[in-house]
Amino acid sequence: MNTEERQLAEMLHRVTPEPPRRVTVEDVAFRLVGEAGQARGGDREPRLRRGLGSLGRGRGWAPALAAAAVVVVAGASAGIATAMSSRHGHTTSPGDVMTPSSASVSTPATSAAPSQPSTSTEPTWPPEPIASGMWGAELINRQSFTQASLAAGTAGGSLYGSLYAFAPGYLDRINPVTGNVVTQVSYTSPIPGFPNRPVVTGNTVWVLSSYSGSSVVLTGYNGKTLAPAGTVTVPVSGQVSSAPQGVLASGQDGDLYVAAGSAVAVVNPQTHQVIKRITIPGQVNSLAIAPGGEKLAVAIGAFRLIAYELVTDTQISSSSLNSGGPGGNLIATSGGIWGTVGVGMTERVWFAPNANLSNVVMVSQGVGAGLDSVPTFSGGAVWIGGSQRLACADPATGQVLASTAIPTDKGIVEYFGSVTVASGSGRTYALYQNQAAQQFGVATLTPSGACWG
Amino acid sequence: MLASVEVLPVDGHPSEPDGFRDFVEARSSALLRSGWLLTGDWPSAEDLVQTALAAAWPRWATLTRQDAPELYVRKIMVNTFLRWRQRRWTGEIATGRLPEHAYADVFAQIDARQALIAALDRLPARQRAVVVLRYFADQTEAQTAAAMGCSVGAVKSHASKALARLRDAPGLAELMTGGVAS
Repeated sequence: MNTEERQLAEMLHRVTPEPPRRVTVEDVAFRLVGEAGQARGGDREPRLRRGLGSLGRGRGWAPALAAAAVVVVAGASAGIATAMSSRHGHTTSPGDVMTPSSASVSTPATSAAPSQPSTSTEPTWPPEPIASGMWGAELINRQSFTQASLAAGTAGGSLYGSLYAFAPGYLDRINPVTGNVVTQVSYTSPIPGFPNRPVVTGNTVWVLSSYSGSSVVLTGYNGKTLAPAGTVTVPVSGQVSSAPQGVLASGQDGDLYVAAGSAVAVVNPQTHQVIKRITIPGQVNSLAIAPGGEKLAVAIGAFRLIAYELVTDTQISSSSLNSGGPGGNLIATSGGIWGTVGVGMTERVWFAPNANLSNVVMVSQGVGAGLDSVPTFSGGAVWIGGSQRLACADPATGQVLASTAIPTDKGIVEYFGSVTVASGSGRTYALYQNQAAQQFGVATLTPSGACWG
Repeated sequence: MLASVEVLPVDGHPSEPDGFRDFVEARSSALLRSGWLLTGDWPSAEDLVQTALAAAWPRWATLTRQDAPELYVRKIMVNTFLRWRQRRWTGEIATGRLPEHAYADVFAQIDARQALIAALDRLPARQRAVVVLRYFADQTEAQTAAAMGCSVGAVKSHASKALARLRDAPGLAELMTGGVAS
């Protein structure tokens, strides 16, 4: 090597960072499982079994072991991974009621004023059928949004039917009929690499405005005008997670739940007070509240899923999966907990019936190419997108009710994700990306009738 | 109830080969760093490394007998990378997920890494692969040629052209003369 080559070699060794995580044998095993599964049938979606589609959709996490037989277990299907169970005693972890003085409240005085890019009731662009679009996909908006950031106003509120999403540098309110961005406010996620959607409760849209070290700050915006409505500084127990994926959620009563280090803080969105703190035995990477609002699930480490009964503040289950990485993007349905694990091609969506990972089933392959496959629970169904298939599943059993292949354009994958059903209209929306055609935006979908049970 | 994953034999594949876990634990960091240089982001680097290790799994006994498991894994990584580039996969990296976060005390490092990846992005895929194999993985010209399925002369040619392009890349000259510490 000459001098220049030696300098290049030295610089490559010096500048190239250490990886954030190592590859494990288990990662490779899961990869082999996926390849084996595809080689056998080429199926990327779970097969349905007849006769199990009418299980109830109660609010509790009723035992849903049938789901394990309905949705193909990615590992077990290829005979490579199997769940091994052992018994551990449950411990209770009562929530600590906090005094209002432990939270600081302020109304931001310096926040950027919202702007109104479009007040027109006519669409800026007419809806455009998406090439090879499945489920009647039509593009109603041509703006690039952050993956997995689409959210809808809650039923019964004045924000009925409104859509919200993060765009680079902004929180946008989107007209669900025209697709126009009608209001926007400056906003940059404090954790840009991780999916975290806005949370709508009452008339306010809440976002994370700070999330690092020992600082968690929530900011609320008026759901119609996006004018600042207040901030809540949440005390952190220790340090916040370095892999925060879905750390803000709302309960049925509208209270906000946010992961704050080794605790979950409960915030009253009306008074902007932290009203309760639930101590968790580890940094919380993700959380979800059951549809009835009576149960909380958290993912910690790499990873353990813990469920709490919120009425009595007791831990009701704890199970773990040796996944080599954190679990994230939790959602809670009547049948259990859904979430993601892994990154890239190994990112998978899983379903834990009854919030128990010993019965976990994998419901999607990884999406790869930097795309996310984050499950959503909207309109009474669970939606799983990505770059391979778009599927809806039964929230009680985990059974895939319908799915469709996501097309490619010139050999490059397209992406549908963050599926959201608008309250009121019942229209279904998804964020769409087509890198080959440089098309991005919000798409409307007409899913299979099977998705509605 | 707790659950853990136990690795069992895969249909058509042998169970976890002897020495495979030791290799993965010892070398995955170096392989991932090579993958990062090839692809420019960690998720793709993980894809690349996992693809190569999955290919090596069923052939592990043969590879260890030949004392060449790492050469084989790197060969699969490079060929997979070149195949992705032919399919234009690098053109579809989404904007929603940033490769890493910049904290106040590491801005210089982040800038250096971004300059490096931007410079490598200017290279055709085969030139980039030669740079990674020769100058990061410290492979000989003959080993690089074997991994890429080309002649030693072609490796020399790719290396020469790559160096010429990197010379003109913004910010890289300073990095090569030791501008930023890790």
